[in-house]
Amino acid sequence: MAKLILLCLDLIIFCITVNAVFEDQIGKFDWRQQYVGKVRFSHFDSHAQSSKKVLLATENNVFAALNTRTGELFWRHVDKTGPDGSIDALLHHAQDAVQVVGNGRLLRSWEINVGGLNWEIVLDSGSFQAACLVGQQDITKHVAILKKSVISLHYLSNGHQKWIENLPESETVDYQAIYSGGNGEVYALGVVPHSHIAVVAYSLEDGEIIKQISVEAPWLSNIQASCVVIGQGMLMCVDSPTVSLYMLDLHVQSQMTQIPLQSLGLEIASGFRPILVSTQPNPARQPLSEFFLQLGPEHYLLLQLNNGQIVTLRDFKPAILVAFATSGEKTVAAVMSPKNKTACSLNLFSAETGRRLLDTTLTFNMAPNGGKPEKLYVQAYLKKDDSVGYRVMVQTEDHTLTFIQQPGRVMWIREEALSDVVTMEMVDLPLTGTQAELEGEFGKKADGLMSMVLKRLSSQLILLQAWITHLWKLFYDARKPRSQVKNEVTIENLSRDEFNLQKMMVMVTASGKLFGIDSKTGSILWRHYLDNIPSNAAFKLMVQRTTAHFPHPPQCTLLIKDKDTGLATLHVFNPIFGKTSQVTSPALPQPILQSLMLPLMDQDYAKVLLLVDDQYKVSAFPSTKNVLQQLQEMASSIFFYLVDSSQGRLSGYRLRTDLSTELIWEVVIPTEIQKIVSVKGKRPNEHVHSQGRVMGDRSVLYKYLNPNLLAVVTESTDMHQERSFVGILLIDGVTGRVIHEAVQRRAKGPVHVVHSENWVVYEYWSTKSRRNEFSVIELYEGMELYNSTVFSSLDRPHAPQVLQQSYIFPSSISTMEATLTEKGITSRHLLIGLPSGGILSMPKMFLDPRRPEIVSEQSREENLIPYAPELPIRTEWFINYNQTVSRVRGIYTAPSGLESTCLVVAYGLDIYQTRVYPSKQFDVLKDDYDYMLISSVLLALFFATMISKRLAEVKLLNRAWR
Amino acid sequence: MLQKAEVPLLWACLQAVLVVALGFTDMDPGPGVGVSTQPNGDRFKIEGRAIVPGIKTQDWVSAARVLVEGEEYVGFLRTDGSFAVNDVPSGSYVVEIISPNYRFEPVRVDITSKGKMRARLVNYIKTSEVIRQPYPLQIRATGPHSYFMKRETWGWTDFLMNPMVMMMVLPLLIIVLLPKVVNTNDPEMRKEMEQSMNMLNPNPELPDVSELMTKLFSGSKGSSKAGSSSKGTRPAAKRR
Repeated sequence: MAKLILLCLDLIIFCITVNAVFEDQIGKFDWRQQYVGKVRFSHFDSHAQSSKKVLLATENNVFAALNTRTGELFWRHVDKTGPDGSIDALLHHAQDAVQVVGNGRLLRSWEINVGGLNWEIVLDSGSFQAACLVGQQDITKHVAILKKSVISLHYLSNGHQKWIENLPESETVDYQAIYSGGNGEVYALGVVPHSHIAVVAYSLEDGEIIKQISVEAPWLSNIQASCVVIGQGMLMCVDSPTVSLYMLDLHVQSQMTQIPLQSLGLEIASGFRPILVSTQPNPARQPLSEFFLQLGPEHYLLLQLNNGQIVTLRDFKPAILVAFATSGEKTVAAVMSPKNKTACSLNLFSAETGRRLLDTTLTFNMAPNGGKPEKLYVQAYLKKDDSVGYRVMVQTEDHTLTFIQQPGRVMWIREEALSDVVTMEMVDLPLTGTQAELEGEFGKKADGLMSMVLKRLSSQLILLQAWITHLWKLFYDARKPRSQVKNEVTIENLSRDEFNLQKMMVMVTASGKLFGIDSKTGSILWRHYLDNIPSNAAFKLMVQRTTAHFPHPPQCTLLIKDKDTGLATLHVFNPIFGKTSQVTSPALPQPILQSLMLPLMDQDYAKVLLLVDDQYKVSAFPSTKNVLQQLQEMASSIFFYLVDSSQGRLSGYRLRTDLSTELIWEVVIPTEIQKIVSVKGKRPNEHVHSQGRVMGDRSVLYKYLNPNLLAVVTESTDMHQERSFVGILLIDGVTGRVIHEAVQRRAKGPVHVVHSENWVVYEYWSTKSRRNEFSVIELYEGMELYNSTVFSSLDRPHAPQVLQQSYIFPSSISTMEATLTEKGITSRHLLIGLPSGGILSMPKMFLDPRRPEIVSEQSREENLIPYAPELPIRTEWFINYNQTVSRVRGIYTAPSGLESTCLVVAYGLDIYQTRVYPSKQFDVLKDDYDYMLISSVLLALFFATMISKRLAEVKLLNRAWR
Repeated sequence: MLQKAEVPLLWACLQAVLVVALGFTDMDPGPGVGVSTQPNGDRFKIEGRAIVPGIKTQDWVSAARVLVEGEEYVGFLRTDGSFAVNDVPSGSYVVEIISPNYRFEPVRVDITSKGKMRARLVNYIKTSEVIRQPYPLQIRATGPHSYFMKRETWGWTDFLMNPMVMMMVLPLLIIVLLPKVVNTNDPEMRKEMEQSMNMLNPNPELPDVSELMTKLFSGSKGSSKAGSSSKGTRPAAKRR
């Protein structure tokens, strides 16, 4: 009988091979959000009055144009990651944006309206220092690039090099800045630290050295950090030890003029390094002679150089941020100053006079649990009455961009922290208040029959009341026009839907900002910025208590670990509201090696988290008496493993009753030959429905379902393409027994692994054939099950049968994950993120080591696909159609309340959420279910019977009369 | 270890390697060797042009990219659809144009250590097979991506044009309409019909379906005269 059921199930599952999106399903249950990353350079496109573009170059090597009205992307270009694609400089002139990329390796020019490339040229090697646009007589035609030892000039129109010159004495002089004031000369400014400044002036026409000056400056070490050029080519520097400004005319050989700040009546805040800010609105003209001097964290001064004298135009204290902006001929300065704890006010000042412009106040409200403002980008424009209006883009520490219009209306907010999601979880939404009330009744202690009955009656009454109000609301809404009925999701009206398809996505980003996102709409419901995160932190997010235990609030724990020191902190919070939990998290003085969630629960239904420190001591969280008692009872069956990839050691430990540990096994992989790349266990929330597979001859091949199995992937240290290899090791995590070992010769990583049920799928690069290959390992117990009721790693005498098969995959891949459903009845698909941005849903039956080379009657009966070396990529299998996900780094799958449906979130630079139906929607009526047809057929049949009945009566009557 | 992908191809590979060795002698045997032996070697440029027939370039270039060997090297398209991927060392690479809306075929580009280039069709199974492609690359879109499945729509025409339905409906029409069109009361006509019926009916023992039907339908139409007359004459005809 069991076999029969198995067969039936398998038949149901195997019937389905095609799985794709229908065109009318676009946007029905999927959404995508596109991000660019933390902004490094930003320019407002101001050459046309009505332009709505802002150009952004980010630390994620992305160059994009945003619509300033909506915050949406016009276009976006994603370069490769790492230093090769990093954007060193962004210059903007009219229709073109010039970029220096990859530490001065490439020079690119973009057409900003279309978003296409104008030209790209390769620059000579040498580390990049600075770049500027060079103009003459109000026309900008060139761009100058300063490198460690050369300076070169290129045409803006085609990138061709006009001239390239070696910098004199480049071994000793550190050239750091470049300046051009529109008079046909280009200045390269260099410094010999603590000795002198070297200024070399080149002719724009042919690159000839016009002048070469050397000026004593023993106090100066870095030009870029402490100097700016203002006015008619005056180099202005600030030095904190001598508390002075230094001034040098670049045109004449002279000494630097020292201007003590005390003579201006100014003081530097203690321990603060003063900063100068200048502006050059037009590269073909001189910079303005007004500049900002920052003397303290919240103290700015607007200064002016007037006939060799420095005049203080205005003192801004307190002021957080300042910025210059130019529109037409007018240059203004925007100053942000704190108003109260949650808001800042912005004001506009005339740069020439320092006078405050009327009606230019703007309020910026800082989000609670957000970061402080970090950068200010101002877009100034001329109004009809020739006064200056402005909009600002504020960048905060948590990488958020807020675009504000006067008088403080937020046009849009972009959470750029979401471009770097590290880990995420999906948490079920809570029940509604009334449902929870009903549920809560069962949790309470019984106190007498009568009161129980009364309680039940009252809760049923409440339910009835809720139902009536719901009906009334439905009726009321139905009368209103549809546009007025809004279904906005807010944190207050969140509740679980019928099939648990809507969940809360808790996302952890590398910047330390946490987000709660509604999975149905993609709207951000809460955000929380943790401001003390080390830059190289590793995160692990765990759900300790789900929403199922009303009235206890759900609880998530984020383990934040400093990768260098190993020291960790815990952040405990409520995943639905984002609030930090009242539970005191334990102090962790020792570096943490491993953390594990146990299925044990304390009396408040919180799962127990065990943390293993470097002394191999275990601490529990929560660590109540109840928990410790349970741990003591369970200790003999709690095992864990540690991986030390630097020494190639895998070791298994057992917990003792006094919460110390004992080593029980150790596997050492010699690090001279190979290194451990990844260790993958199975997902704890995975269910496997069928214990075996029915063969063509009606016998059953039982799966080897070891929940403790670990897949260890190794790569050879020898990277030579003839000798490199990829190894995979299947180890039982409790006993340390090596179940299987496989080596893929002439292959190299990166290796992507998925480990689930009784199979491991991994992908590697075959150096021999220069292609990506998939390999699948499946483990079977055989035709008989040793112990069908429970699996114990300690009592499995027979080694499993291992089947393996390899395939060619015609694309490289970025990441891989398997679908997950509630009960595991639905067939599995592999979700593969490709570099093209597509997410491929590949049925697991294509990766089945039992695919026969020769088709037989039995294999056909089993629905095995005949073996083909190359796996197909069909565009119908892309679950995200043309909504590509750039640089996909992870795919998260979660089961829903429907067995057929698996929720999928792909994250990388973008975030994409959708649902997949690996075996189609066998438990739901299809979207295109034709109610009309069914009802019309039923009606037609009904009428047909009526008419034929009548006819039959007439006939009978006639016959009787005859 | 079962590496089935390799086994049937071994012989083909061997052959192909021989062919390559004869035909393209200045090529490195394994282009990857060039990289590993001279890590600071020269860098080259892969050039080409992508065309989407019938679509203006500015409508699609901003969303497209050129990927060389996954995401190892990235290039962007110029406003006229041409592209150049700079800084690529010698080796063999699969060059793809990625666009969310249009499909382009990938091309394999081989660069020798001297910088000689050639382009060929990508064949992952016979990796050393050479079917030359033009270089600089000319990559033409083969059409828009087909991401979506067609809904099975239900229409009256689909239903009526179904062969099963046609087979049922047409005979029914003939049976119902024929007795009306042809006047069965005309004795000459009847005779003619009977004759043709007999010719059609090879086995006189079998009850004729059409006959049964005509009987039934003409019977139900109240005009019992025609029915009874046919009832009367039929057996006679059969007996003949």
